[in-house]
Amino acid sequence: MRKSIFAVAMAACGLFATSAIAADYPERDVTLIVQSSPGGGSDIIARTIARIVNEGKLSSTQMLVENKPGGGGAIAYNYVAQRKGDPYVMGTIATSFFVAPLMGQSPAKVEDFQPIAVIAGDPFILVVEAKSGIATLDDIKAKKVLRIGNTGPVTDPALLAVSLGNELGIEVRPVPFNGDGEVTTALLGGHIDLQFGNASEVMAQIEAGRLNPIAVTSPERLASLPDVPTFKELGSDIELMLYRGVVMPKDMPAEAVAFWEDVMKKVSESDIWKTQYVERNNSVPLYWDADEFARRVPEISKLYADYLTTIQK
Amino acid sequence: MEIFSDLFFGLSVATSSPMLLATLLGVLLGLAIGVLPAMGPPAALAILLPIVVSFEPTVAVAGLAGVYYGAMYGGAVTSILLGIPGESAAMMTTLDGYPMAKNGEAGRALGIATFASFVGGFISILLFTAIAAPFAEFALRFGPIEMTALMVMTLIFSTSLGGEDRAKGFAALGLGLWLGTVGLDIVSGSPRFNFGTFELLEGIEFTVIAIGMYGVGEILASVNETAPKVARARYTLRALLPRISDMYKTWKDLIVGSVIGFVVGVLPGAGATAATIFSYSFSKKISRHPENFGKGAPEGIASPESANNSASYAAMIPLFTLGIPGSGTTAIMLGGLLMLGLQPGPLLFEQNPDFIWPVIGTFYTGNLMLVVLTILLTPILASLVFIPAAYLFPIVLGIVVYGVFSVNYSFFDLGMAMGFGLLGYLFRKFSYPSVPVLLGLVLGPILEQNVRRSLIMSNGDIGIFASSTISVVFLLLSASLLLLPMFKWAKARLKKAGV
Repeated sequence: MRKSIFAVAMAACGLFATSAIAADYPERDVTLIVQSSPGGGSDIIARTIARIVNEGKLSSTQMLVENKPGGGGAIAYNYVAQRKGDPYVMGTIATSFFVAPLMGQSPAKVEDFQPIAVIAGDPFILVVEAKSGIATLDDIKAKKVLRIGNTGPVTDPALLAVSLGNELGIEVRPVPFNGDGEVTTALLGGHIDLQFGNASEVMAQIEAGRLNPIAVTSPERLASLPDVPTFKELGSDIELMLYRGVVMPKDMPAEAVAFWEDVMKKVSESDIWKTQYVERNNSVPLYWDADEFARRVPEISKLYADYLTTIQK
Repeated sequence: MEIFSDLFFGLSVATSSPMLLATLLGVLLGLAIGVLPAMGPPAALAILLPIVVSFEPTVAVAGLAGVYYGAMYGGAVTSILLGIPGESAAMMTTLDGYPMAKNGEAGRALGIATFASFVGGFISILLFTAIAAPFAEFALRFGPIEMTALMVMTLIFSTSLGGEDRAKGFAALGLGLWLGTVGLDIVSGSPRFNFGTFELLEGIEFTVIAIGMYGVGEILASVNETAPKVARARYTLRALLPRISDMYKTWKDLIVGSVIGFVVGVLPGAGATAATIFSYSFSKKISRHPENFGKGAPEGIASPESANNSASYAAMIPLFTLGIPGSGTTAIMLGGLLMLGLQPGPLLFEQNPDFIWPVIGTFYTGNLMLVVLTILLTPILASLVFIPAAYLFPIVLGIVVYGVFSVNYSFFDLGMAMGFGLLGYLFRKFSYPSVPVLLGLVLGPILEQNVRRSLIMSNGDIGIFASSTISVVFLLLSASLLLLPMFKWAKARLKKAGV
């Protein structure tokens, strides 16, 4: 009996502690959960963010990075989603954040998260092998049938390939590989014709003159490729980036959201972020606060949902 | 010759004390990782990565690369002493290494493996130094069509590994091929055989199956033996030492392994494991005593061990010459280079010679360190066979559990490893060969994916496999491999009938 009274008292204290979060939040180290293995795209971002937060003392406690790879991101997303109201856990996101629940592969839906901020967008560059004789979208249109590499059927490059085929009225044959590296290898060897490459992965090949860029999927031209047009400029509707941001579990105290939103703004404005991430990976600098991010989530989710219905027909 | 001055510069930097230290730490960690079952080079690199990013790039990459090729040496140790492949590239080494160790010649087996690793590594580094860039260009000609043909040839070659009972061999191969299909289908994106769990979405880890079937299975089978074989009395000091004579006895297999390892290792998505399967089968085909393979033949250790070491260097060629990772491990190395602020690409050799040549230099020093370290450790490691089973098995089981758990921190994996342990036990009980299961598991997905890629490219036209010279050559070779024995058999029948 005494035990249960004690438990009730403890629970009451717990409730009290959550509501009084603003006073000295954060009191403990915060863990940033990464859905990729070390060395992967999201991991590089997570470690850069943690470095800026810790070195710049943007939080009174440390930010720790923990990798939870597997299940196509589902393991990490579920881990975060299950910690409802826990203000000491947050996670990075990638395309899988939107796609995994749509595919029925992850019980954690996009609504199970509290969006915090998006701090960069990674564009895709449509590239061809340098000796292929293709230089413009019109050249592609003239080909009628093209083989285009992707990294799986429900990835951004695959979605972009379908959009391109529909817009130009050509037949695209999507050839799936196990990673961007394998796609680029096949493109260099002339086994496929096109690739929507992540800017950070194909830039070295472009600089070396092995691949030629046709157009970029970002809203504006890239600083590193000022001569390469955007799809929008060419009269196309294609515009897509891999949005880089962080989310927290649902039921988050407003103070915690405001705190991390502000920290992420400082991260996105820091020199380290600009030089070590944005410039190095040819990303597009941008900042969405929690409200804007929350507004965009259903839009982006719908984009993938529409795509999935077209390919599942 | 420019290449000599470049290499000399590389070696001089590689022998400076911080570089030597980084290489030593890398290869030591690699050795340890290789010895521990389940924990493969990708996992080790992933752990090391956040630590080394604060180092100078050349030093960091010297350490990372050391882990990678060091693991190839270490992998042989577990394969030989415990019969558990520490990682997929060491799986073929268990076939002859473990029987040899069981025959009381653990030191001899380790000696052959070490020497083969050294020779395979050394030949591969020489080739790397001399022809890395043009060879990378050659490897680009291997697209889905060519890979399909290569895998068909490797599978046909490997049918010789099925054991005595062909039906059981094919049944085991079929099981392996099926296990390889578990997970997300790369073409349609739909899950296959995941039974509604998301733990199975990315397929079953090779190590979980290998450790289960070999490690746990072997322990269960041995425990069940009422009268354990008392072979222990025959162990002598000589059994713990490597033998020099084995080294020139296996020269043919060393060359076969080194060359196959280099050629297959450089190909995208094929990797060291496929190279060892190919090389082992090839050595068995050219051997005058193929019946000794699988029972402790020195050639059966020399061939795959030289192949996996050779392949580990070759796998780094696409990364250093083109900036493209060819395997999971090199993909993590690429991540490391990016974190260090280096953008590997086709211009790395031209723009960063002061980075690339010292790293190549450390391949030479690292390989030398490994051969010395392993030879020194051989008698100590080989003494493991003196430990009675009553003490050894619980220890091994502990290592196995730790190893499997450490890959994904997943109890699910652990349960599966135990399940496959039971399967391994049943395989032994009913004398089914376990090797074809792993063959199917490794080769099946590569073959399936490349067949489907090729057919997507041609919109279903099967004629695409005849559109490439490389593919046609491989397919003709495969056909002759299948038809030759039939001709021989037919000829013998005719002769008999004539008499």
